[in-house]
Amino acid sequence: MAVEVRLPAAQKRVSEELGTGSGLHLVTPGDTITTDTGFMRGHGTYTEDDKLVASVAGVVERVNKLICVRALKARYNGEVGDIVVGRITEVQQKRWKVDTNSRLDSVLILSAVNLPGGELRRRSAKDELAMRDYLQEGDLISAEVQAVYSDGALSLHTRSLKYGKLGQGVLVRVSPSLIKRRKTHFHNLPCGASIILANNGFIWLCATPKEMEEEAGGFITNLEPVALSDREVISRLRNCILALASQKMLLYDTSVLYCYEASLAHQIKELLKVEVIEDIVMETRQRLLEQEG
Amino acid sequence: MAGLELLSDQGYRVDGRKAGELRKIRARMGVFAQADGSAYIEQGNTKALAVVYGPHEIRGSRSKMLHDRSVVNCQYSMATFSTGERKRRPHGDRKSSEMTLHLKQTFEAAILTQLYPRSQIDIYVQILQADGGNYCTCVNAATLAVIDAGIPMRDYVCASSAGFIEDTPLADLSYVEEAAGGPQLALALLPKSDQIALLEMNSRLHEDHLERVMDAASKACKDVYAVLDQVVREHLQELTTLLGDRTAA
Amino acid sequence: MLKSKTFMKKTRSGGILKIVREHYLRDDITCGCKGCDECQQERAILELEPILESSLCTTAHYLLPDTNVLLHQIDILEDPILKNVILLQTVLQEVRSRSAPVYKRIKDLLHNPDKCFYAFTNEHHRETYLEQEQGENANDRNDRAIRTATKWYNKHLKKSPKMADVQVILITNDRRNKEKAVEEGIVAYTCEEYIKSLTANPELVDRLACVNDEKNEVESGRLIFAEHLPLSKLQQGIKSGAYLQGTFRASRDNYLEATVWVHGDSAENKEIIVQGLRNLNRAMHEDIVAVQLLDKENWVTMSSVVLQDEGDSDDIESVEEKEKMLKTAVNSVKKPSGQVVGIIKRNWRPYCGMLSKSQIKESTRHLFTPAERRIPRIRIETRQASTLEGQRIIVAVDGWPRNSRYPNGHFVKSLGTAGDKETETEVLLLEHDVPHQPFSQAVLSFLPKMPWTITPEDMKNRIDLRHLYVCSVDPPGCTDIDDALHCRELENGTLEVGVHIADVSHFIRPGNALDQESSNRGTTVYLCDKRIDMVPELLSSNLCSLRSNVDRLAFSCIWEVDENANILNTKFTKSVINSKASLTYAEAQMRIDSPNMNDEITQSLRLLNKLAKILKKRRIDNGALTLSSPEVRFHMDSETHDPIDLQTKELKETNSMVEEFMLLANISVAQKIYDEFSEYALLRKHPSPPPANYDILVKAAKSKNLDIKTDSAKALADSLDKAESPGFPYMNTLLRILATRCMMQAVYFCSGMDNDFHHYGLASPIYTHFTSPIRRYADIIVHRLLAVAVGADSTYPDLTDKHKIADICKNINFRHKMAQYSQRASVAFHTQLFFKNRGIVNEEGFILFVRKNAIVVLIPKFGLEGTVFFEEKDKKKTNLVFNDEVPFLKVENTTFHMFDKVKVKISLDASNIQHQKIRMALVEPEIPGVTSHEDIATNTNGEPVPKKSKS
Repeated sequence: MAVEVRLPAAQKRVSEELGTGSGLHLVTPGDTITTDTGFMRGHGTYTEDDKLVASVAGVVERVNKLICVRALKARYNGEVGDIVVGRITEVQQKRWKVDTNSRLDSVLILSAVNLPGGELRRRSAKDELAMRDYLQEGDLISAEVQAVYSDGALSLHTRSLKYGKLGQGVLVRVSPSLIKRRKTHFHNLPCGASIILANNGFIWLCATPKEMEEEAGGFITNLEPVALSDREVISRLRNCILALASQKMLLYDTSVLYCYEASLAHQIKELLKVEVIEDIVMETRQRLLEQEG
Repeated sequence: MAGLELLSDQGYRVDGRKAGELRKIRARMGVFAQADGSAYIEQGNTKALAVVYGPHEIRGSRSKMLHDRSVVNCQYSMATFSTGERKRRPHGDRKSSEMTLHLKQTFEAAILTQLYPRSQIDIYVQILQADGGNYCTCVNAATLAVIDAGIPMRDYVCASSAGFIEDTPLADLSYVEEAAGGPQLALALLPKSDQIALLEMNSRLHEDHLERVMDAASKACKDVYAVLDQVVREHLQELTTLLGDRTAA
Repeated sequence: MLKSKTFMKKTRSGGILKIVREHYLRDDITCGCKGCDECQQERAILELEPILESSLCTTAHYLLPDTNVLLHQIDILEDPILKNVILLQTVLQEVRSRSAPVYKRIKDLLHNPDKCFYAFTNEHHRETYLEQEQGENANDRNDRAIRTATKWYNKHLKKSPKMADVQVILITNDRRNKEKAVEEGIVAYTCEEYIKSLTANPELVDRLACVNDEKNEVESGRLIFAEHLPLSKLQQGIKSGAYLQGTFRASRDNYLEATVWVHGDSAENKEIIVQGLRNLNRAMHEDIVAVQLLDKENWVTMSSVVLQDEGDSDDIESVEEKEKMLKTAVNSVKKPSGQVVGIIKRNWRPYCGMLSKSQIKESTRHLFTPAERRIPRIRIETRQASTLEGQRIIVAVDGWPRNSRYPNGHFVKSLGTAGDKETETEVLLLEHDVPHQPFSQAVLSFLPKMPWTITPEDMKNRIDLRHLYVCSVDPPGCTDIDDALHCRELENGTLEVGVHIADVSHFIRPGNALDQESSNRGTTVYLCDKRIDMVPELLSSNLCSLRSNVDRLAFSCIWEVDENANILNTKFTKSVINSKASLTYAEAQMRIDSPNMNDEITQSLRLLNKLAKILKKRRIDNGALTLSSPEVRFHMDSETHDPIDLQTKELKETNSMVEEFMLLANISVAQKIYDEFSEYALLRKHPSPPPANYDILVKAAKSKNLDIKTDSAKALADSLDKAESPGFPYMNTLLRILATRCMMQAVYFCSGMDNDFHHYGLASPIYTHFTSPIRRYADIIVHRLLAVAVGADSTYPDLTDKHKIADICKNINFRHKMAQYSQRASVAFHTQLFFKNRGIVNEEGFILFVRKNAIVVLIPKFGLEGTVFFEEKDKKKTNLVFNDEVPFLKVENTTFHMFDKVKVKISLDASNIQHQKIRMALVEPEIPGVTSHEDIATNTNGEPVPKKSKS
């Protein structure tokens, strides 16, 4: 059997290719941003001896009097209304703990979920005992951010049929900063798969459900085998997303779709090769630019 | 017969450096996708890899949790192939535990831990090849990884060793120079503010000399800073160029 | 700045280990030439216009020697004529690993601005670094590196218009290297060619070391010696135990015998005897050698025969004959014997001595006889033999080929006519490695400026004791007074005793040139007519000397004692004193004894004397030894400085009074600094001698029916006190002299490096030297430690480094020993001068030792020791019977025991000008054919050498 072996080679510095000079104010930790006391201290900064000093490496952003430094890569910083995909890490009293790639685990309170059958009532002690039947450790869910606690932890809810437990599919993790904010993050792509581009950088890929038969509040998983064609589509999508992410392309339905289409010329496994990645991402980028222009 | 001449009369060290010169530093950030931050650094032949996870929910026992700040969890290890003689266990021996503790102290001083109460930051460093100044290289690697992870720090933490041979302070000792057994000092410095994050010395040195050795070490730390800062800026530049279309968003 | 790096692999035995080291190449290494425009250099060393006239190379040029030239021709390179030499790092590193002394000398040359030697770091230069090629060995690579560097220099110099016509010449003795260099277009000469071409300086040729090509050696003559094994084999052998490593110590008396002191701790085979020319196998005194033990049946014992090398030629037969004689000697206990199989490290140094001119008039090869008898004669080549004859010269050893009876060497310099007092003093100082050059300007620059006064700054941490009645007691003519005393009654009835020591450490600050120089000198050396100061005279005889009626800084040790000399309180402090009187021992004694003197000083002296007696008694009760050695003083003629009379030292009560208080101070200080610095205290110990050392003493005493107990110091002291022989008052002194010879050497050591602190002779658990900082460096260190301990001064790095302290100890122990040897040598020389003027004298003496063919006689009147031989050339053989057990020597019918009284004739034997010596011949008791009445000095044949012994 022929095996292709590749050794990691030094990546080309992409900046040299694309040219620099975006004119941004870049700072590194310890850099003094301003000595003017008229500014307010935002994220990624701290004050010392009347100086405003950066604490992370990133881009300086000014909103009126507020100065922040946005790190280019950071954990997910949730906001109310964000769609997230997360994994249950713990089942506690009346709440689940969910890992959403943020600094602290998010909380899904028992009262913030739809009960099976869509019953609307006060949660009783019986429900508490049945919590593990609904969601147990390791399960994946999609949810929406309901509130942000003072320590930065998120409170989630799944009170919509869109949200709930995720069944068979593939999870792809990318940096949250690569997810483009859109009106909707749930898409049924024309290629025959569904995608959840959650704001926390977790992307869920699954086969598009045939019919909307699930009225169970999203706690029952369909364990039927997924067709090979669907699996191939999902795999291709996964590789496309990783390709886009490796080139730091923003992820949204159009970019993913274009990339998918560009990738059709290659075998799925070839999409892991660096030169193919560069190829298809470049094509995607061109198409997006054309469309914008 | 006679041991190595560590510093020639002409002022050159065994490897051709002058007393205050550093070894060649090469570094790269963001070498792993799955970690929150990662970095690889070479200081001469000493090579280290650092990854940072976090801040994240405290895993394992909750008793470690601090209500006003984040826990910094470090682990120092040496690859079994990193030294001349193959090492038995990569971490957990006394030397490694001590290094782990030093790293923890260093980064607790530098990271703005109070921003993330009840969370935990993991810093894992591994020496891939050991050729002197292991601790310092680890600190430098970890600094880059922490910056890569976007974790707020007061300042860079730059570390360098310094020795004292033939009445001359030498910066950034190599293994040969360390093995000679002279006094050796490791300094981790916040270069902008000149604050000391950690200072360690492994043998007796007269206090009259201390200042000179400290000066040499802090000079070396600042030189390290210049190199690291360059690396970080290049990395930033690269990322922002790629993300250029989104800065306004 | 850092250009690139390459990796070097190394393997170590026992498993292959790949070692990767960085090697930075730079492009900022300067060429060191003054006229160079390219290199931006702060301090160029090589002169713009090097001038050295050579018939081979007429243009201006720099020299670039290779490793072997440096190793062998260092004497030539040290000549002031040779200047502007480029030393490559490659060469320096090789020299460093091959010969530490040569490396040291080269370093000195590099530091000498007049010599214009420049070290070029070629291994780190971008353009001159070379990697070892496949199939090339390290030597070839280095040769190639040297050639590359030479080429680079020549190219580099062409670039600067000022330097364009300056050439760099490679000096190499390696034929192949030279050929290759010439091929590559480099001007290359052998050292010999070049030196001979120096038209203006023909005398340099003599100083060329004769290093023959290996090949020549094999061809000529037969091989006398077995080949030395290579180092790798030796190390293997030592590891496996087949060979033993040790220091080779040639015998002073017998050139065919030596002992090897085996390194390591194993008790057995500590000392190995090596006998016979072939077994000695070209080892020289002080070499580190590997020896192989012989089979037990071939073991020998040290023969007590005195044998000196007289041979002129390479005839081995006569040597073999003598060797046989050694073997047939009466052997009691066979000791481990061995043969030298290889030399691990040569310890050659330049040797002083004289030329024995070759009988062939035109010959340029001559034998050189070193003054040190342990060193064999050295063959040198010189054309100035007739000028050098009768002069003291210095010769360096170059090598010892297998086919040569003697090592080869070359002439270094001449010291002057033998027999001259200056020359002889110079020789004995050189031979004992005593630094005696005048103090350099750098050293003198650290002296206080005159006129010197005590400033308020000086008074910090210091108390004023100028009101006390302090006085000093010293030998007459003493100018370096380092101690003074006082004693007074306190109001509460107790006594206050103060010992005030010159505060030398106040003037000599740690680390400066003055300190380094004194540290190196270690001690002041007192010769009969000369003092070699440790510190410059301004300090030794003025500012630090506690002279009377001037304010002087001191370090005081003050005790409060009761009338029974029990110490109630001890205090150490820096102080200012004003001595009221500088007395001699005699003057002090007179004051104590004369009843009508009652001033404060005298009262103080009487109190001190009283206390000293109590202290002394207590010390002796504790087992301190009173030993004696015959000490003599010369009365010098004030004009010629020749000795006109000698007398043995006389001890007065006051001598012992001063001594007692000095001992007390030393012990108190030792305790104090040890308490304060348990790791870094510089102390002095005197190990108890191994019991076997006393054998000779016990045997000798027994032969006179006296019993000497040696189980402890106390027992020894007591039995020595009791050992009186009626009608023989000098007996006790003789025993004490003998006991002294049994003792071990007292040494300085660092408390952190040792755990046996005991001082045997003084019976004190701890001891140090504090009281003579002007003449001993140990005391300066002790002063510094004490000053820190009492808070009067601050510490400095080297003071709290036990390895540094141990290094200092090592040096001062060595200097101290050498000072003693040179003192003895000086006394011996002056004794000779004295007898030269006196002619022949008959004197009474006592037998100190009995040897196999001689007796050693001590003449108490002159403190003189000499050997009387019973076998002489051109005399009929005498019947000798030697018994080691009793011991006695029977000559014909007369038996000589130890301590027997004899009468000898003393004369000066000047036949060998190098070793002029006092000759003794027996007068009484008369033995026919042995005792002589005629004038022996006419014996022209030189020293008496036994020809053959009958068993």
